[in-house]
Amino acid sequence: MTPPTEQLKIFSEKEKKEFIKRLNEQFGIKKIPGILLKRGKEKVFLFQGSFDKEKIREIEKTSFVERAGLYLAKDEEYGIRLSIEGTQILKNEITKNIVELSKDEMQTWMMGHEVLKKTGMTGFVIIKYLKDMLGTGKASEEKITNFIPKSRRLKDKSVEK
Amino acid sequence: MKERKIPEPKPLFIERMNRLIPDTNDQKNYWKIVKTEPVNTIRVNTMKINSEELIKKLEDYKWKLIQPWKNYPEILIVEGKTPSEREREILINKNLAKLEPGELGRTLEHLLGYYYIQELSSMLPIMALNPKENEIFLDLCASPGSKTTQAGNVMKNTGTIIANEVSLGRMRILASNLERCGITNTIITRKDGRSFCRKIKEQKIYFDKILVDAPCSGEGTLRSSPKTFLMWNPKTIKALSRLQKELLKSAFMTLKIGGEIVYSTCTHAPEENEGVINFILNEFKDKIEILDFELPLKTRPGLTQWEGKEYDSRVKKTKRVYPQDNNTEGFFLAKFRRLG
Repeated sequence: MTPPTEQLKIFSEKEKKEFIKRLNEQFGIKKIPGILLKRGKEKVFLFQGSFDKEKIREIEKTSFVERAGLYLAKDEEYGIRLSIEGTQILKNEITKNIVELSKDEMQTWMMGHEVLKKTGMTGFVIIKYLKDMLGTGKASEEKITNFIPKSRRLKDKSVEK
Repeated sequence: MKERKIPEPKPLFIERMNRLIPDTNDQKNYWKIVKTEPVNTIRVNTMKINSEELIKKLEDYKWKLIQPWKNYPEILIVEGKTPSEREREILINKNLAKLEPGELGRTLEHLLGYYYIQELSSMLPIMALNPKENEIFLDLCASPGSKTTQAGNVMKNTGTIIANEVSLGRMRILASNLERCGITNTIITRKDGRSFCRKIKEQKIYFDKILVDAPCSGEGTLRSSPKTFLMWNPKTIKALSRLQKELLKSAFMTLKIGGEIVYSTCTHAPEENEGVINFILNEFKDKIEILDFELPLKTRPGLTQWEGKEYDSRVKKTKRVYPQDNNTEGFFLAKFRRLG
């Protein structure tokens, strides 16, 4: 079997700066420690281990590297959409475009449904419930579109608090 | 503990297990406990939340939680939950109801990665290996990621973890578990463990710590997976033993001098345990040291003979974990250091 040849795309310093600049505009994020990488066109990963870029390339010479680090965000046409873990890791950096949900709204959100809520914001917003960071939604005039992946959704409201 | 209906074990399996635990009382306890459901245990993901905070949240579900080991406050046993008034009327133990099937994995806290569902004995290899912050760690057969995420927690996302997995399907589970747990110091590779080690050695990359949690016949997992009773087959044990020797040998050669390796399986079969350890001791002679290590539960020393074969006496330093000793699944662990 021929091994896949596609390499991970490791962000240069310039590309990382550019990415953080956009995140700063969206959510007020000023810094992200670690190496940013891309697998495919949209998915951005954050690697915070001790291996540098060269070492990651050396690993790629030995075998197919499925991913390095954590799925941080999706770089989409309308902006950068942080994953659940992305919002958790950058929790202390996120200062704007945050929507705080009530308990009922949180349950609706975590079940994968859109939340009917006028936020006065448009575009990607960070979803928060008390201290919990719940990923990113897309706010329009009257609702927030949901991106919670199926595997991370609450299935049965009756088991919730 | 209530017994449940499970497939009938094969006669040869019964015969082998009874030879491994010759005491009749011990046998009775073993055969009784393997028919019961395993205890529900979870590990707090300390990267995301501390134990006290999570306990508070989970107690809101009326779960009854125990921290079994003082030195490992992140490990919790979920005994059950406080029954409702209606449940209380029909329960024998009026103070404890069973969790619903799948309830452990359905909470908001689980979905957000605040804890990982992991059987107690499966937590032992990382306790034995004790990876430290800033080390370079290889998890050779990493899926589904229980031990990789545990190592990520212990190492506090510092150093680097290489998590290798040969199967594409299993690798996806690994990736999703690492993601949910917020592990950022891991590189996931997909390759046969033997050729991965050969290639990594060519790149002159060596590890401080390695875990070979080898694919095995799973005799220790009968409580959580009773279908193992049906799938059990002596031919598989032979084939697995060959593979395990090759995996451990390959991994050992990528260890730094002074580095440590843990070999573990979730089976009782000596061919997959002491047989593999005996092989590796003979193979590397004065380049390898077998180490003693502490675990927070009752273990038994490795066997020095099985089916007419005598093993190196140092094999006694390995540890067998039997389900009847600690109300866990069965496990086997050995630890080595590379000397040269």
